[in-house]
Amino acid sequence: MIEITIDGRKVEVDPKQPLVRACHEHASDVPTYCYHPGLSPVGSCRICQVEVQQGNGPPRVVVACRTPVAEGMVVNTQAPGACDARRECLEFLLKNHPLDCPICDKAGECDLQDYSFAEGQTEGRSVEPRRKLEKRKSLGDVIVLDQERCILCSRCVRFFEEVTEKPQLTVSDMGARSVISTFADRPLQGNYQGNVADICPVGALTLKEFRFQARVWNLRKSFSTCGECSRGCAITVEVLRGKDVKRVRPRYSPEVNQWWMCDTGRFALEPYEGERAPAALMRGNEGLVAGDPVQATALAAQLVSLHAPGAVIASPWVTVEEGELLLDFARRVGAPAWFVSPAANGLKDDLLHTGDPCPNRRGLLELGFEARTAAEILTALPDMDTAVLVGERVVELIGEADLDALSSAVRLVALEARPPQVQGIVACLGVPSAVERVGTWVNVDGHRGTIAASRAAALGVPPTTQTIQNLIDALAPAEVEA
Amino acid sequence: MSEPATYLLERSRIESAHTMEVARKHGAYRGIEKVLREGWTPEQLIEEVKDSGLRGRGGAGFPTGLKWSFMPNRAKDPRKRYLAVNADESEPGTCKDRILMECDPHGLIEGILLAAYAMGTEVAYVYVRGEYRLPYQRLSNAVDEARAAGLVGQGIGGTDFACEIWMHKGAGAYICGEETGLMESLEGKRGHPRPKPPFPAGLGLWGQPTTVNNVESLFNVPFIVDRGAHWFRTMGTEKSPGNILVGVSGHIEKPGVFEVPLGMSAKQILEEYAGGIWKGRALKAWFPGGSSTGLLPASMIDLPMDHDSLKEAGSMLGTASMIMLDETACVVRAMEVIARFYDHESCGQCSQCREGTEWLHQIFGRIEAGNGRQEDIELLSSLASGMAPGKTICALADAAAIPTHAVVRHFRTDLEEHVRLGGCPSAGATQETVGAAG
Repeated sequence: MIEITIDGRKVEVDPKQPLVRACHEHASDVPTYCYHPGLSPVGSCRICQVEVQQGNGPPRVVVACRTPVAEGMVVNTQAPGACDARRECLEFLLKNHPLDCPICDKAGECDLQDYSFAEGQTEGRSVEPRRKLEKRKSLGDVIVLDQERCILCSRCVRFFEEVTEKPQLTVSDMGARSVISTFADRPLQGNYQGNVADICPVGALTLKEFRFQARVWNLRKSFSTCGECSRGCAITVEVLRGKDVKRVRPRYSPEVNQWWMCDTGRFALEPYEGERAPAALMRGNEGLVAGDPVQATALAAQLVSLHAPGAVIASPWVTVEEGELLLDFARRVGAPAWFVSPAANGLKDDLLHTGDPCPNRRGLLELGFEARTAAEILTALPDMDTAVLVGERVVELIGEADLDALSSAVRLVALEARPPQVQGIVACLGVPSAVERVGTWVNVDGHRGTIAASRAAALGVPPTTQTIQNLIDALAPAEVEA
Repeated sequence: MSEPATYLLERSRIESAHTMEVARKHGAYRGIEKVLREGWTPEQLIEEVKDSGLRGRGGAGFPTGLKWSFMPNRAKDPRKRYLAVNADESEPGTCKDRILMECDPHGLIEGILLAAYAMGTEVAYVYVRGEYRLPYQRLSNAVDEARAAGLVGQGIGGTDFACEIWMHKGAGAYICGEETGLMESLEGKRGHPRPKPPFPAGLGLWGQPTTVNNVESLFNVPFIVDRGAHWFRTMGTEKSPGNILVGVSGHIEKPGVFEVPLGMSAKQILEEYAGGIWKGRALKAWFPGGSSTGLLPASMIDLPMDHDSLKEAGSMLGTASMIMLDETACVVRAMEVIARFYDHESCGQCSQCREGTEWLHQIFGRIEAGNGRQEDIELLSSLASGMAPGKTICALADAAAIPTHAVVRHFRTDLEEHVRLGGCPSAGATQETVGAAG
């Protein structure tokens, strides 16, 4: 670490990072467009100009993203020369930028809008006609390009070159005629296209899925973890009106996913389309009907007390906290604890996706759960008297139709997020989905990722941990002593 | 008039001097032979060039010997190193390197060999402007001849000195004449200039130490080696020694490329070499060194043509390509043409240059077309100040800003007249637009 002075404060900075990083880490707000911490700095947008003085030399205005820090450097981000240089640069960037903000999806989180607002330059000096380019050019299934909004920062170009290492975008033509394009207008490929919409500093690259869906300031954002594979990327789940998950974006995590995530995770917004399980379902003469959770819990406890379950089978989405309680429950009823382990799904790549659809495989294994494939479970179930299935997707992952076909060979208690269509189920207690509960998943490398309740669960559906605790409490005291 | 001593164009005047046979008969390769025969050290050669005070002829006027000395020490840095010869002569008004490559290619090859010897570059690339078909052909043939004569390739002159020369044709982009744009283009990429630092001497072509030299700069070196740094300093000025090729174009009687000592007054060049302004007209304005240098009024025609005098006058020597406009010419129209050129040639990386060159072009176009506003004149200055100096990756924005500042400074009345009259006063008259042909 070396010592430099930023805006009058002496700070310790990493000599390997460019000056702009030091400014950002020490609360000196220098705007950036082409610079992104996850990409190589190209110094082309020129907006990050600051004044730097070294030794006895005169102060110079430099671009902070291409300037290495040096011991004793004195940086003044608010020097008149630097402010002027940034303001001039901004004026050039705005000259042809359309006044689209009222209909732009990026409005509210747009770096160009933010800095224009901060600078307060309300009127342009240009009387020339604005450049007319393509406003909605499709770049494949995921991304739409608005060429007029593009400020040619080339972050998207570098993302494909440097992060996925499969270059797909380029700047074609030159000068003021430059546009971002793919070779021969081919659609973008791969599982990481959505990232370019995140890193686009303006509204040039937007997600088709999110286009005109919400104003970003109306989205409630919570920090969570992606459950689409065992990587467990840090994400932000963004919910509109406390109800609809409108967007999932990667969140910076140095150990796990840096700034990126795959499109599989990004677009797995709502794993449960359609009906959700109510607080409780009990089997009567008309099949599974909604009932009182206390009665359903008592029924389930009675069943497993009288007929010891052959296994407690968890979903791989069960959290560490839920898993611990579930193990306690399994011990009390004298059953082995398994979790459903689906086969690799073929989405594995060199960047983030592990191909293993179990977000908490490592956490459950560390707790002592044993992995079982759906086929193994289906083979073992007919030999059991009863079994307990716990967690979202557990029925789906074992196979809803296959379970149903077992008929009354085994009586089942389920804790599910969706109402299961399975004949053997005697009682079902509703549980919240991954976006409705809190807990911890341990990823493939042992990193503990927190999932957050981004919205409320259905009325009357308590956290899974509480439901499991209720079950434990409802077991006969004699069993507890045993 | 007493003709000053010449050396650069001496061989060029001889019939078939582009062939090895004639060139050698008239002194080609004497310099490299001397260096090899006398066993000069590379450091000795660099010192000689430093002592001569030779300044680069590509436009910036940086001392050539000093540039060579920036290459890392070979003992400490064993990386492969390259020489790139900038023959992408694209500055509007400039055609001096063309003459040298066409008429005396062996002189350039000798310059390349000496530079390679000094810097230890075993490979030199010659980046030739794509439109230069004859120069490319002549130089390619000359390289083949030199290779056949054992002067290019391995074991030159029976020593262990080796230098391979490869030819490369540009594809017509002005920006590829910028040294880092040239390197990107040579590497097969778009000619987008690279930010500096790192400088080419540290990280150049393919990440290796590289020096980029202009054709005319290298062309001077054999003479310095053959006749000595002291001889070189007998010509030109104290700070800008030697002769320089001046291309004079525009409204003159006798356009051409002339060899003059640095420091000769522009007036003398115009009158004694270029035959004066044509048709008996008076001079209105002139560019001293290509379109990127500041336009100067007729009253400043007495200025000496050297780096420092022109810099003091708020302009630049540039490529010493004088573009002369006579009294019937419209400077606003000339600036519109020039602004269009920079708008067209900006690579588009830096915001100020991409948007600014277009904006300047639009404003000059409006003023010339009669839609100018009084405030546009201040806007021109203000935009040019926002673009340069040194605010962008390369100097293309500067090249557009410098003539803009100059026209506002020296020809403000012309701009105001356009605004007041709502059009060009000389519109309708036959405009003999010359000079900015690129």
